[in-house]
Amino acid sequence: MPFTLETRLGRIRVERRVGYGRLYSISMTLLSLAIALLVAGLILASLGLDPAAAFQVIFGVFVKPSLLLESIKQSIPICLAALGLSIAFKMNFWNIGAEGQLYMGMIASTGIVLLHSYYGLFNEWAIMPLMLLASFLLGGAWCLIAGALKARLGVNEILPTLMLNYVAMLVVEFLVHGPWRDPKGYGFPLSIPFPDYAKLNLVFGEPAYTGLLLSMLGAAAVFLLLEYTKPGFEIKVVGQSPAVARYAGIRVRRTILLGSFLSGGLAGIGGLSIVSGIIGRLRPGASPGYGYTAIIVAALAGLNPWVVIAASIFFGGLLTAGGALQMSMGIPRAAAQMIQAIIFLMILVGEFIKRYKIVLERPGVSGS
Amino acid sequence: MTVQVGTVYLLASLGEIYAERSGILNLGLEGIMVMGAAISFIFTLAYGHLAAILASIIVGILMSLILAVMAIYMRLNQTVTGLALTMFGLGLSGFLASPEIRRIILLALNPSLPENLLAIQEAPKLPEIPVPGLSEIPVIGCFFRQNVLVYISYMAAPLMWFILFKTKPGLSLRSVGENPAAADAMGINVFKLRCAATMISGGFAGLAGAYLFLGFQPFWQEGLTAGKGFIALSLVILSTWNPLKAILGAYLFGGVEVIQYRLQLFGLGALSPYLLAMLPYLVAIVALIAVSIESVRKRIGVPASLGIPYSREE
Repeated sequence: MPFTLETRLGRIRVERRVGYGRLYSISMTLLSLAIALLVAGLILASLGLDPAAAFQVIFGVFVKPSLLLESIKQSIPICLAALGLSIAFKMNFWNIGAEGQLYMGMIASTGIVLLHSYYGLFNEWAIMPLMLLASFLLGGAWCLIAGALKARLGVNEILPTLMLNYVAMLVVEFLVHGPWRDPKGYGFPLSIPFPDYAKLNLVFGEPAYTGLLLSMLGAAAVFLLLEYTKPGFEIKVVGQSPAVARYAGIRVRRTILLGSFLSGGLAGIGGLSIVSGIIGRLRPGASPGYGYTAIIVAALAGLNPWVVIAASIFFGGLLTAGGALQMSMGIPRAAAQMIQAIIFLMILVGEFIKRYKIVLERPGVSGS
Repeated sequence: MTVQVGTVYLLASLGEIYAERSGILNLGLEGIMVMGAAISFIFTLAYGHLAAILASIIVGILMSLILAVMAIYMRLNQTVTGLALTMFGLGLSGFLASPEIRRIILLALNPSLPENLLAIQEAPKLPEIPVPGLSEIPVIGCFFRQNVLVYISYMAAPLMWFILFKTKPGLSLRSVGENPAAADAMGINVFKLRCAATMISGGFAGLAGAYLFLGFQPFWQEGLTAGKGFIALSLVILSTWNPLKAILGAYLFGGVEVIQYRLQLFGLGALSPYLLAMLPYLVAIVALIAVSIESVRKRIGVPASLGIPYSREE
């Protein structure tokens, strides 16, 4: 019996839509985006602010080259974290901890830089590869905590990954207020600034391009993993049904451990892109919620690694626009955060509209 | 002090227990709480405490309605929907309570507000009302030197326990969370009841946010809940979905936070305040592990349909 709602107008019935094309799906997603912007515009208008001017600022970000470059830069950590989340969500592992895993990646990268600067360890050319490795490992390990709790003890991963976000932020606070504080930083809670060889400037000396390359490599890796490898296949089967996976002889626990580690690892590299691409040092609050934005990006992109890149640039642009809104219109930065959450809600509603259709049956009209 | 912090968790988890007992995981708790705090801040300045508390409850209910429609009627994934609601609450509260926007709202609410109230970042705290006689008792007297919301939480917990376990609506609520198809067959409206339970959780979360701001730290900063909503969610699991046990759990987490402040005061300077601040989150994880260990799980009742959307199709 389908879901029905009796109203005075007649019977509203919600039916499952049987199969839909890609074009329909894309147009529905775009429609959700448009509705989200409309809702955001209404909120701004109700407060007496000019929504048209605000949207002009927001879309202007994608037109002006310098701001577009800034948006791409901002999109790198979002993209890498969202790529990691795509793996986790394919496995039905609700990793909400990308934010914490980003911070762990920042800590690992900064740690390598400090080992070099303070103790003269490693050669200069080895710094960047080591930072990549360390941020991947530490980010992965941070997510692996929740993965192991789920695999070994059956603890649901949602709350542990969330809690670990706050712990990771506090670890950063501890480090930059204490042992890692820049001795020449006038007491501010900052690490030393990164030297040039620890910065993301391989391509044209510009972090945005280097980061974009990193994002593309990450997307390719996730794509290959999920589509062409055995572990990737196992991750998807576990996501669809752990029972089927077990029946098929897949080692479910091991797959969860691997999947959660890879997921956190990619976010860890995203952390590297923050400290050596965007800020150039470690400081508290280095991520303005990139890890949470990544969840929206993964959902918007339908876990497709290539679409993730484009979606992150859109949200990177929104973040950049947040700053521009504040400067040009005095609209607080939180407006960008609010708009992205409204987009998230509308994308979810769009999912519902994609999957179901609403039928209104007027009394007397419907025969069956 | 323990009671003061614990009340935040108690109020938030009481409502959430109802939502989860009915099968709805309200992961938007954090966002609703922070909205409750922001709304109570703005309304206290404009109209005073009573209006602020009522407004934050209403806003909490309205926000939970978003979750109810999306998770119950549209059958969308509750985890993602709740998370989206939390992000929405964090963004919207930061936006509304920011100095620029707050000024606009305050002037719209109360045009005669003096200039100095338009710009301040804090609001008057809820007054403490000592209960005559009881507050004089040596040890437990501190329980009776609190503000009105704390007293409400004292009364709400047993009342909510009674409704949930000793009355017919409570039985219906629990059956909806255990086996919605069977409840439906018995003539219970699963959708409406789940919707009502979600709204209860929203109202309490809004109240918890108002208490956090007005009763505990009446100084606005963006995202001032700092994960307290998520800790309340783990507390619900720790309390095995029982309002009476939630009292103990809430004061346990309250105590953990107080210990953290005390340790800082008592010259444990070697331990960084940042490391101590991790304590509540780590205790929450440990609590989750303790509850999840299989042997324990067999004795307690996770609502069997928690997180699963109900539809009559399947």
